Amino acid sequence: MKALVVERLPQRFAAARIAAAVLGSGSGVAVGPLRLLEIDPPALPAAGWRRLRPRLAGICGSDLSTLDGTSSRYFEPIVTFPFVPGHEVVGELVDGPDAGARVVIEPVLGCAARGIEPPCAPCASGHKDRCENLTLGHIHPGLQTGYCADTGGGWSEELVVHESQLRPVPDGLSDEAAVIIEPTACAVHAVLRADVTQGERVIVLGAGTLGLLCVAALRQLALPAALLAVARHPVQRDLAATLGADQVVAEDDLPRAARRLSASVAVGRKEGRLERLGGGADVVFDCVGSSASLAQSLAVTRPGGRIVLVGMPSTVHVDLAPLWQRQVSLLGTYAYGTEEFVGRVEPTFTFATELVAAAHLERLVTARYPLERYEDAVRHAANAGKRGAVKVAFDLRRNRSWQTGGA
Amino acid sequence: MSPRPGFVLEVDRSTPPTLFWHGEGFRYEQLPVGSRVLYPPEPHAALADPDATIREALENPLGDSAPLSALLFAGMRLTIAFDDISLPLPPMRAPDARQRVIEAVLDAAAQAGVDDVVLIAALALHRRMTDDELRHILGGRVFDAFAPSGNLLQHDAEDPDGVVHLGVTEAEEDVEINRRAAESDLLVYVNINLVAMDGGHKSVATGLASYNSIRHHHNVRTMQHSRSFMDMHHSELHTSNWRMGRVIAKTVKVFQIETTLNLDTFPSQFGYLQRREWEWKLRDRAGFFSTKAALERTPVALKREIFQSIRSPHALTSVQAGEVEAVHASTLDNVHRQQLVPIEGQADIVTMGLPYICPYNVNSIMNPLLVACLGLGYFFNLYRGKPVVREGGVAILSHPTPWAFHPVHHPSYIDFFDQVLAETTDPLEIEAKYEQSFATDPWYIHLYRTSHAYHGVHPFYMWYWCAHALEHLSQVIVVGGDRKAVRRMGFRPATSLADALEIAEDSVGREPTLTHLHLPPLFLADVS
Amino acid sequence: MSLRLPSALDRILRPPSWPANLERMPRVRHVGLHYDTEWSRKPAARAARRAVQEGLLAPLTRLVTSPEISGLEHLTPLEGAVIFAGNHSSHLDAGVLLSALPERFRRKAVVAAAADYFFDRTWKATLSSFLLGAIPVDRVHVNRKSADDAAALLAEGWSLVIFPEGGRSPDGWGQEFRGGAAYLAKRCGVPVVPVHLKGVRPIFPKGSGRLHPGHVEVRFGDALWPETAAEGRGEDARRFAARVEGAVAELADEAESDWWSARRRAAAGETPPIRGPEAAAWRRAWALPESARRDARPRSRSRAKPW
Repeated sequence: MKALVVERLPQRFAAARIAAAVLGSGSGVAVGPLRLLEIDPPALPAAGWRRLRPRLAGICGSDLSTLDGTSSRYFEPIVTFPFVPGHEVVGELVDGPDAGARVVIEPVLGCAARGIEPPCAPCASGHKDRCENLTLGHIHPGLQTGYCADTGGGWSEELVVHESQLRPVPDGLSDEAAVIIEPTACAVHAVLRADVTQGERVIVLGAGTLGLLCVAALRQLALPAALLAVARHPVQRDLAATLGADQVVAEDDLPRAARRLSASVAVGRKEGRLERLGGGADVVFDCVGSSASLAQSLAVTRPGGRIVLVGMPSTVHVDLAPLWQRQVSLLGTYAYGTEEFVGRVEPTFTFATELVAAAHLERLVTARYPLERYEDAVRHAANAGKRGAVKVAFDLRRNRSWQTGGA
Repeated sequence: MSPRPGFVLEVDRSTPPTLFWHGEGFRYEQLPVGSRVLYPPEPHAALADPDATIREALENPLGDSAPLSALLFAGMRLTIAFDDISLPLPPMRAPDARQRVIEAVLDAAAQAGVDDVVLIAALALHRRMTDDELRHILGGRVFDAFAPSGNLLQHDAEDPDGVVHLGVTEAEEDVEINRRAAESDLLVYVNINLVAMDGGHKSVATGLASYNSIRHHHNVRTMQHSRSFMDMHHSELHTSNWRMGRVIAKTVKVFQIETTLNLDTFPSQFGYLQRREWEWKLRDRAGFFSTKAALERTPVALKREIFQSIRSPHALTSVQAGEVEAVHASTLDNVHRQQLVPIEGQADIVTMGLPYICPYNVNSIMNPLLVACLGLGYFFNLYRGKPVVREGGVAILSHPTPWAFHPVHHPSYIDFFDQVLAETTDPLEIEAKYEQSFATDPWYIHLYRTSHAYHGVHPFYMWYWCAHALEHLSQVIVVGGDRKAVRRMGFRPATSLADALEIAEDSVGREPTLTHLHLPPLFLADVS
Repeated sequence: MSLRLPSALDRILRPPSWPANLERMPRVRHVGLHYDTEWSRKPAARAARRAVQEGLLAPLTRLVTSPEISGLEHLTPLEGAVIFAGNHSSHLDAGVLLSALPERFRRKAVVAAAADYFFDRTWKATLSSFLLGAIPVDRVHVNRKSADDAAALLAEGWSLVIFPEGGRSPDGWGQEFRGGAAYLAKRCGVPVVPVHLKGVRPIFPKGSGRLHPGHVEVRFGDALWPETAAEGRGEDARRFAARVEGAVAELADEAESDWWSARRRAAAGETPPIRGPEAAAWRRAWALPESARRDARPRSRSRAKPW
């Protein structure tokens, strides 16, 4: 079968890193470690595993980091080569009693998928995102499907998934809506973990896919007094406003807008330029994860407030003095598990599915590519904002009737 | 030769193109045949001996008032308030009129042995002035005598202890003014009357008041009912101020000194700005065209510096002192004598070129809000009787309208333009939804009190100033302006006057009548 | 980002640590009134000072102040040490006075400078002694040591330039003349020459950092000799000081009006005092003559431009 494969080829990773540094993100794909190959479909590792044919598979920021060679070295022990990327997958089960059923997968490989008995405490309570055994069990180490040598991944014609990872897709939802459920679950998890209470003032920094989904999640699930989104590109700005931001500004205008949002004073004003605030927003969602965005977040969070790091950050250099002096909490959020919300205790995916339907989030899937045009796809995804796109996905529905729906 | 009065030119085929101001630059536009152009009167002669005239005015007051020397006695508390840097425009050459008057008053006070004297700049909600600006207005002698000892103050409308409530008018309007001024034995106000809006009771009732007082007449309803605010007898703005002034007069003894200036607005190297185009000599033509071309190639920052450093040669034409209302009546006579230009009938379109300066950007940047305020606020309202343009007509303004704001002087303007105008341009909606939060924002108040920033509510007043025009006109077109900034304010951008006239046809039909206001120098149109 | 020196160099450059059980002497610094200025009167220092004064300071002072000097005829009959007592409104006063003196006085002159301002740091003390030949004095009281030192210098023939007001004028009017100069004159039997400096304040006023070149007038008056037959020495010094103040006031009057009117007023006892009128601050400032105002010219526009 055809599949996009990432192999351990250090010189290709280095080349990709250089290309990305010089020509911008995504430009290393032609010289990088990702290649389109003819390989055998992955074998079923054990009982309880099913075969899945992807229909749509999204390209995520973490995938782009891997292909640029800028992924943190932290991940080296929990990624095994060669692997097929792609963890945002909606597909059809190949065989079994429910063959042909449409499912989305929860890519986290927890104790259940690894066949570890008894499961670790977090897995036992439904919090796979905090699993402690990512390197054990009868499959190779790998934090998610799409980073593991044994499971395959979404950017191919077939992969294997464990039963515990399957989530059925309701009939009314299109494929585009289904493929956006996984990133939406990340956003939902972030919003609920941040515990945004009613009447808080919230800023969302970054209006890529995750930023926009956070805006949508905040609007639907929390009741912020004011929601300010920071977006660089016009398409992102319009979407942020439509999805529920009260005000959308460009990066340079953030301190000024944040000052008005919180009606606070500015500190250390130089020639009229606002740089730091005395007060600030209650919660800031940093969906960019760079040194600059973290510094900006620290500048506009009120003392005692919290900053939530959503989405994989790069290695940052940041002055932590504001974090210390203003007693700001810095929270990391990753993936999803089980949430408790308004008296319900459900997997995050359930809330995410409801949100996707309610807010029509399928419109965020703005471009689809076949596997053969993977270079264009990756470049498009890397420049999504500039080119007016949000989520770019691989479309594997060949020889099937096209389903419309979504953007 | 006596100065010629202003007049109305009817443009025909042999009329040369007309000079339009365009911010820090000029345009040279051919107006359509049949347009009318209002030209200002020539400057009247200045006083031969201004200092002597001032001394005489102080000793021969108008209205129910004793001469100044009789009002001064040793051991009294004397406060001298004066107009801030918004006047005159452009700033005067040294010595400023206020310097002359204040030196005369202080000479009298020194002779009477008055020790407790405080000078207050009547800012209302304007920005504080820098030391250099104060020194320019007051002169070195006065500044050095009062500033080092802390007796030269700038009115702080947001100082809770610095403001005192004097009562309410019959229309339930709060009257709150500066405490030191209210508690003095004598309050001397030194005013410059550049246009008919200034002076009278407005000097103290607005200049030394708090936001709580000012909001009663600086609001949309009042501005819509001021037709125009250059004509105090038909101006709700003045009616309110007069009510407040009478309440103030009950408890505070005010000695008002008003001065008027002639229209000699620009220095001799810009003489062509004050001469009619067909009377330009070789020197004028060379000066104009070379300056226009040079300015088009000059970077914006340098242009601003050049223009902001212009010092006007306008000089005193009269000085009146004494009781407020009597003084103001005499002042208005002088202003009208110099500035009135009669014109019959209204036009479909009014055009005006806007200069680089308005009262709120002296030594600063003219941001889009100020452009709107100058054109649709001040210039539109320079009429007595009826507006120059008919109801439902079109106004065409000419100004580069850059999307640029001075971060120190106009911080609240930036937020107003970014946030408030992006949502709506309707003055009533803006007033209801946003004025309160801007007026009470602690950061803007902090900047107003300690830095050199206009009060948080001031951009709203700029927009309210346009309320009468926005109600009256069907469309506003800006020639040569930044497209985004112009659209943000709800106006139409045009690249040239011809295009603007084309766009205007949608509102006023083909073959519209047009009147062009050839100002500055300023004048007052008397429309019948 | 710290540099690590090679250990050999480090041992040389870094001073050793002091053992904890040994008492450490506090460092003695000779500043203020204790500063010894003897070195600046040695021939080598004097020659160097003369070169700097004649070659650099005096021409610069003349350029900035364009001085007009009068009354030098009062100095011709004087020989030996003289005390020059002037009014004080600016840091430039000492330089202006020194450059106005005839060379025979200037080459052997010391300037009495406030110990707490000009001698509080070693580098300032060094600079003052070298450039001006300054000696430290106490502004307020007559300090025994500095009085003895000054008397010794006067006895050796050094002339003294001193400003009896004790400090620069805070508002343009003069202050009461203190008794230090008078005491020294009495003790050493040297004459006091009153000097009036007109127009220095606008050039470099107290509290301003900027220099505005202008025009200065220096007037020397007739020398005053202390009265030898007296009843109490202390009282005498004070009365003598008042006499000197009066003489400077007459010179000030002459500077503002003309010599004849000033003489007539002096004869009638109507010379306006240098301390100015008794009134509120603004009226005192109002009554200042133009030559004593802080700044008669309009300054250039503020440097803080927004663009």
